[in-house]
This record gives sequence, structure tokens and C-alpha cells, in this order.
Amino acid sequence: MSSLLANPLATPSQLYRRASSATLPRDVDEAVYFATQCLTQAAGRLLQLPQSVTAQANVLLARSWLGESPMAHEFSDVSAATIYLVSKLGPLPRSPRDVSNVYAYLSSANSALFPSGELPKDDPRAYYQTEADYYAFQQRMLGLEARILQSLSFDTQVSLPHPLAITYLQTLDFLSQPRTTVSLRTIQYLNTALLSPQMLYITHQPNALATAAIYNAARDLGAKMPEHEWWEVFDVDREELGFLVVAMRSVEGWMQKLKEDFPGFGNNMLKRSVVEDELHRRGLQVGNGDNAPRDEEDEVMRMMDSR
Amino acid sequence: MDRPSESTPDGTSPRTFALNHSRPKSSFQGCSRIADYELQGKLGEGTFGEVHRARSRKTGALVALKKIIMHHEKDGFPITALREIKLLKLLSHPNILRLEDMAVEHPTRQTDKRKKPIMYMVTPYMDHDLSGLLDNPSVHFKEAQIKCYMLQLLQGLRYLHDNHVLHRDMKAANLLINNKGILQIADFGLARHYDGPTPRAGHVVGEGRRDYTGLVVTRWYRPPELLLQLRRYTPAIDVWGVGCVFGEMLFGKPILAGESDAHQLELIWDLMGSPTDETMPGWKSLPGGEHLSPRSRPGNLQSRFREYGSGAIALLKDLLKLDWKTRINAVDALQHPYFKKEPLPMEPHQLPTYEESHELDRRKFHDRKAALPPAPKGGTVGLGPDANGATAGFNSNDAYGGRSGANGGRFRGGGPDERRPAWRDRERGPPSRPPQDRPPNWEDADHRDRDRAPRNRGPGRGPDIDTYIPSYRQEEAGGRRRDDDRPRDDRRRPTSKDSGRRYDRERRTRSRSRSPIHDRNRDRDMYRR
Repeated sequence: MSSLLANPLATPSQLYRRASSATLPRDVDEAVYFATQCLTQAAGRLLQLPQSVTAQANVLLARSWLGESPMAHEFSDVSAATIYLVSKLGPLPRSPRDVSNVYAYLSSANSALFPSGELPKDDPRAYYQTEADYYAFQQRMLGLEARILQSLSFDTQVSLPHPLAITYLQTLDFLSQPRTTVSLRTIQYLNTALLSPQMLYITHQPNALATAAIYNAARDLGAKMPEHEWWEVFDVDREELGFLVVAMRSVEGWMQKLKEDFPGFGNNMLKRSVVEDELHRRGLQVGNGDNAPRDEEDEVMRMMDSR
Repeated sequence: MDRPSESTPDGTSPRTFALNHSRPKSSFQGCSRIADYELQGKLGEGTFGEVHRARSRKTGALVALKKIIMHHEKDGFPITALREIKLLKLLSHPNILRLEDMAVEHPTRQTDKRKKPIMYMVTPYMDHDLSGLLDNPSVHFKEAQIKCYMLQLLQGLRYLHDNHVLHRDMKAANLLINNKGILQIADFGLARHYDGPTPRAGHVVGEGRRDYTGLVVTRWYRPPELLLQLRRYTPAIDVWGVGCVFGEMLFGKPILAGESDAHQLELIWDLMGSPTDETMPGWKSLPGGEHLSPRSRPGNLQSRFREYGSGAIALLKDLLKLDWKTRINAVDALQHPYFKKEPLPMEPHQLPTYEESHELDRRKFHDRKAALPPAPKGGTVGLGPDANGATAGFNSNDAYGGRSGANGGRFRGGGPDERRPAWRDRERGPPSRPPQDRPPNWEDADHRDRDRAPRNRGPGRGPDIDTYIPSYRQEEAGGRRRDDDRPRDDRRRPTSKDSGRRYDRERRTRSRSRSPIHDRNRDRDMYRR
């Protein structure tokens, strides 16, 4: 069996293309990515999917946005399509109806995902879906499912670092820490990394992610790590480890900054229309991916400036 | 993230690079387009969809394109196809059919824009399948050739089992052969991850570790423990299938062509002897063994295969061992003395080549394939999701884990015969109407159906029965076996009009090698595993 421990990764040219043909300024793009991954996580919880399934949906979303502008489709629809697809491949398929209900709830005023300070009152009317609503949602979701499969060339296999991390911890004898504490911290880093707009899961292999998460957890807990370069045992070199350690630790600070930069962020479902308004406010135009012809030179220059 | 540097790989300016590499509108960079292949005509057509032969414009290689049918779009992309694709993408072995690519065909502008794109699985083109080759009266395998195929088959199987994959539909029709003498195992629609130790040299497989659905493997190739409803089975079920295929290569026809599950068991006892506590320990305590008291008999394997020599008989005995716990594994079978005796196995390149037969039409799908016994139908019977319990946590590599459910209970009640119609009552006279065993709902969204009646069979197809009779009689006159299965053929028959004459002609056309992926009618429900 070829690659149960490795994932297909984004090539440098794919990353370059994504950056250079982006339809969104980088900060907005990152905010969209983060918000949509959070939404996917929330939906996974409500659909009672294990994190091993939801995390795969996060990775599939990252893979599919590698080749396609996030603005091509409504963010929540892409999120729904990935989680539907992943659950179908796994042991716990969820019906389109379940997925539809969950996303309707999450985007409603009643949603617990966007706390308004007070406890959400349970008002089923806020997320009631008519048959027409459901049909429209299902059509969009299944269309996106096919589109995602094609853009991924059906590479739906996702290897997650979580089981590896536990194995590594075992070989490190849990760094002489309480098992649950250090394991939990490691897994927390791995789960947070799923949300990172640096798309760590499609730029680094599971073994590197697992090692970096262990390193971070050890540092947080003040655990004593082996003296020598133990990460090399797990096939990770110093540079990659250093990069990932910083990347994983920076997610929290980046989230704080995001909330400052976008004061309303996290108060309600991030929709394409919201992003378009933001772009208008900044005096930028936006298309939906196959957008109208614009001055491409300006576009590229702008992208380079914004970096 | 690794930010790309400002200079591009080929040294052009970023702008030029961006222009050169901008994606065409609405393109999907992942899959090939159907235009990347030069279609060379259909290889087959049926209710399962279409298989085309094509040449890749990029590599020049001959390929087969299998269309993935989407009947019911209520649940999106067919789950069985998704799993088969996912599994095939993980496998890489010379004796396993390789999934080379996925190709997409976008509906042309003029047609309905709302049409969904059509997906094709791209595999290497194989000239024959073993079942078809064996049916070709001009083909006779020499023993050294059979050994060559058997070694390749066992190597492929060892690879699968080493990687914790159960094929679960081992049969001659799923073994593809090309004119370079290479044999490949195809059709992973029923395959799943196996949770248990992999076979090791000199070790018996032993007991299974957990339950799986019993509704797998085409009947003629189904091992006795499955027929007796052992759920905790092991890779030994595939080994039994290899034994059946081996016998079929020697004998020229399927060796255990049961008409029902009960009859299948009788045939197995006839061949291998009735089960005893010595030959098949624990058989009485299997769900299907409790009320069974087979007539005692010694088994006629020895006499039936006498002409093929003691080596072949010894290997057959090991592969078709009733006791699944001590049945030979693929690793040991490869070392069997049979392969070290004269005549030694040929090398693939020494094998004779046969005229490829890829004329399109239904006629090639008419015969033996169509006569195969019915579908293995999966479905972890009667259990809720994840009842098998192996799917919790981060075992994300088990893409096939623990599936069960919704429709699994369909065949629960009743004896073995209820599971599938036996056709034996039809040996004389026209067949009665085939049963409508297709479930009414989304399940036939499957990209193909396994050995089952197409959905359009049923009431109101009287004329078919009439046109069918002459060919049936002819068939009997020709002394063919399997008469009792013949009625299934009516499913491929062209409707009314010209079909009588044409069907007769078709029955005479005996060229059956076909390739590469031919699906029988199979119907798999998505929760089957």
C-alpha cells in the first residue's frame, strides 16, 4: 500500500499560482479560510462525527481551495460539501438532510457558533428549512462534491498526524509527563493547526506535524526533551521543525489580530456578500473566480504589493 | 507555509508566469479531460454503463475508460465508486489493475447546462478476462501456462493481504490478462480493509478478529465458511476463490456452479467431502451449520482431477481446504511444490497470445458472465452504524471500516434460497418472471451492479421470454452446461423487434474474451460493507 503515512502536498508552483491569482487580499483570504475551517469543525461536532473525520474535511477543503478561488462558491457550501464527502467515505456517512439541517442551524441567528453574549434562545423557526431550501442546498452541495472530487483528482485519502503523534509520544515515553496532559496538549496543537491559514496540512507531512506538535506541547509543559536532535528520528529536519513550531504557536496571536482587524469577525456567519462589501469598502473589485476580465498586470502588481 | 519566491522556476517574470499558468475558466486541474483520450469505440455496454477503449493522447498508451453512472443524484457521487477509487489509488503492484487516471467529460455547451459532468475511471487496457478466455473454445491452457497465471494471481493476492485488503470477489471474471501474459486482479468494488494479522510463511491464518458482512463473493467462488454464515472471516476467503479459479483453469469451466447457496454447499461437499470435526472444525456451530446434516461422503476431488496429476490435486486440496483456519495462505501457496515440479511455470512473455476481442456490443456480455450467480450483497446485516466497533478514534486509514446498516437486513430472513432466486425450476419451459430484487431506492445509484438483474426487468417484458426460448433450446442442444442459469441471459437481450434472430446469432458467437473491466450487473448498496 503506497502511502498511508504520507499525503499529497501542494507543489510550490501550485502555492505560487494560488498566491498570484488570488482574488482576495491576503488578510481577507486568510480570514475566510479560518472562518470556514471553524465552521467545518462546528458542523462536525453537530453531526457527531469524530475529529478523525472532521479533520479530514478540513484538509480536503484546504486542498480544494488550492486550485480554486474561495470566492467561486459560498463558503458554507464548500464546507458542507467537504464534510459530506468525507463522512461518506468513512465509517459514519451522514445524509444530505442532516448536513443541510446542521448548516442551516449554524448560519441562523440562533447559532451557538457565534455567541452574542447571551445564551442563544432556542427558536426552531430561525433554522427551519423549507423543502425548497433543502433542495437548493442539496443541489449546491452535491454539485460542489463533484467539483471537489474532480479538482482533487479523487485523491480523498488523508493521513492525519494525530495517531502518529501518540505513537511518537509513546516512543518518547511521554517525556516523563502525565500521559493525558502531554497527549492532550499535542492533539490541541494539531487541531489548531488545522485552522491555520498557512495551510500547514497541505504543505507538510504528518510526521513533521506530529513532531512539531510534540515539541510545542513539551515546551508548554516544561517537559524535558531528549538532549540530542530527537526529531531526526522522526524524519524531520531542524528547519522544518522550526518553521512548524513557530507556525503552530502563532495561530493564537494571529487570531487575536484578526479580531482586532475585523471588529465584527466571529459575530455571524462569514458570507461571500460580507467579503464583497469589505472589498468595496476598500475600493477593490472582486469576481467570483471566473471573473470578468480586468487589467491582469494591475492585478499581479497589487498581489505582489500586498505581500 | 512556504511562500513562493519572487523568481519563478523557469526564470520568467512573475507576470509572464502567471499568464502562462492561469487556469482556464472553469477548469479542474485535478482530472484529465476526456479530450485527453482518443476514443476507439465501446468495449461493452449494459446496464452497468459503458467501457470504452481509448488511446491516451499524452502517452499513447491504450486504456480502458469506465464510465461511472450516476443514476440517482440524491446522494451525490456513488459511494462504492468513491471507495473503490480510493482503494485503487493506494495499491500498486504489477498484478493489481492500476487506476491510472480519472477523466471528466463536461457536457457540451449545446446540451443542457445543468447536466453534471461524467466521470471515467482510466485503467490500462487488458485484452482478456480469464473467464472469457476459458470460454473461448479455441483456447487451451497448458499446465505451465496455468502455473504462470497462478503465480501471478497469488502474488497479487499476497500483496493485497499483506496490505490488509480483502478482495471479497475473487473469480475468473475479475482476473484480467493481457497479451504480454500479465494477469491482474481487478474490480475492488467489494474490497475492504481487513483488521487482523497478515499471512506469514508457515503460519496458518487462524481465527478472524472481527465480524464483516457475509454478503460477499459470487456464489460459485464462495467458500463454505461464508455459506455457513461465518462473519468473522479472514483472508482465507480469497484463497478459496483462487482454488476455484485454479480448478476452472484446469477444467475449463467453473468447477462449483451451484444454483443456490444450499446447492453450492452440496457441490462443495461432493468435491471436498462432507464436513467433519476433523476436516472442518467448528462447522456445526456456525449459524448455517446448526441444522445441517449433509450426507456423508468422502469427496471426489481425487477422481475428478486425476488427469491433471498429483501436484495439481495437492495444491487444489490446500486451496480448497474446508477448514478456513488452516487453509493455506497466499505466501505459502507461492512456495507450493506444484510450482517447482515439471513442467515449470512459463514466464509471462512466453505465453501464447490470443486474438483480442473487443467488438462492441451486448453479445459478449451475454454468455457466461450473465450466467454467473447473483450478487454478493453486502450490508452488515442488521447492525447499526459502527456496530463493528473498529472505527472509533483516529483510525482514519480504514476507509472501509465498520460500514453497516440501513439496508443490510434485507436478506436476513429465510434460508439460503431466499437470498437469491435459484433458477433451477426453469430448466424446462420458459422462465418465469425474474424476481424484482432490486431495492426501490437510491441504492441503484451505484456505478455498477453486481450480477443482478437490471432494473428494467420485470413485468411487461413477455416478448423477451418468447425470443429467449429458441436460443435456450439451442443451447441445450449444444450440450452446454449451466442451462439452469441460462434464463438470466434474458437480461441482456435486445428488446422485442429484431431480437429473436439476433439473439440466436449472438448465442452462437462464442468469442468471449473481453476486456478490460466489464461489470456484471451488480447492485451494491452503500451500506453494505
